[in-house]
Amino acid sequence: MARPKIKPEVSTENSAKAERRWNVIVRNDPVNFMGYVVVAFVNVLRIPHDAAKQLMRLIHEEGRATVWTGGRERAEMLALELQQWHLDARLEPDA
Amino acid sequence: MPEIRLTMTREARTVLSDLLRLIAPAASRVAVRRARVPDEDADVASYWTSALEEHASEEARLLASAFAGAQGDPAVIMLRSEAQALAFLRAVSSVRLALRELVFSDIPDSRLEASEELDDESLPSEKRHAIACYACFGLLQQSLVAQLSPESLD
Repeated sequence: MARPKIKPEVSTENSAKAERRWNVIVRNDPVNFMGYVVVAFVNVLRIPHDAAKQLMRLIHEEGRATVWTGGRERAEMLALELQQWHLDARLEPDA
Repeated sequence: MPEIRLTMTREARTVLSDLLRLIAPAASRVAVRRARVPDEDADVASYWTSALEEHASEEARLLASAFAGAQGDPAVIMLRSEAQALAFLRAVSSVRLALRELVFSDIPDSRLEASEELDDESLPSEKRHAIACYACFGLLQQSLVAQLSPESLD
């Protein structure tokens, strides 16, 4: 039996969008304590304390840091969770 | 996790409870307004905003209930699980952010950190009162982090 000849539709624009990587950025804020930010990172990003402290220090010194990079859906989830911890988190497309 | 206790004088509990009644509804609004909600997709933005609103309301309820339950002198807030302690920690952050934004956004961070404003008698008394409460909530938050996750502190 012959297979039906269906040519798959390939949309370059859509696949580029699907594969695009996103950064979760956290910016420094003057209200939340350093220890609090570390607890937030440990709980949301599921990273060890030392890694969380490094990120926190980077944000404190540089004013912002990328705390996670990857697919859009997971990036959205993490940014929302960090915002629920009242951190200044946002999404940016990875360059 | 052992039970976590946050202890304060009865007077402090009364003052902070009174302030919470005033600031909690506004804290929800500030949390949502302050958040950077991605707006490229209307469904995602709507879900995102609803999640923040629901979360903020839950925090306001938790704080009200925790302070209402803290009786005696000294007044003690008991947090019986890690989840409850983390939620309380977030809720206190929300209140501090709301106070900072709504009551004394004109005061530079450096002056707040040094608590200079507490002694500045030229400020309106409501503002000084709010700054004192902001500092008290900060102490509660730091005490909670120290008990919950001492390795998070330097």
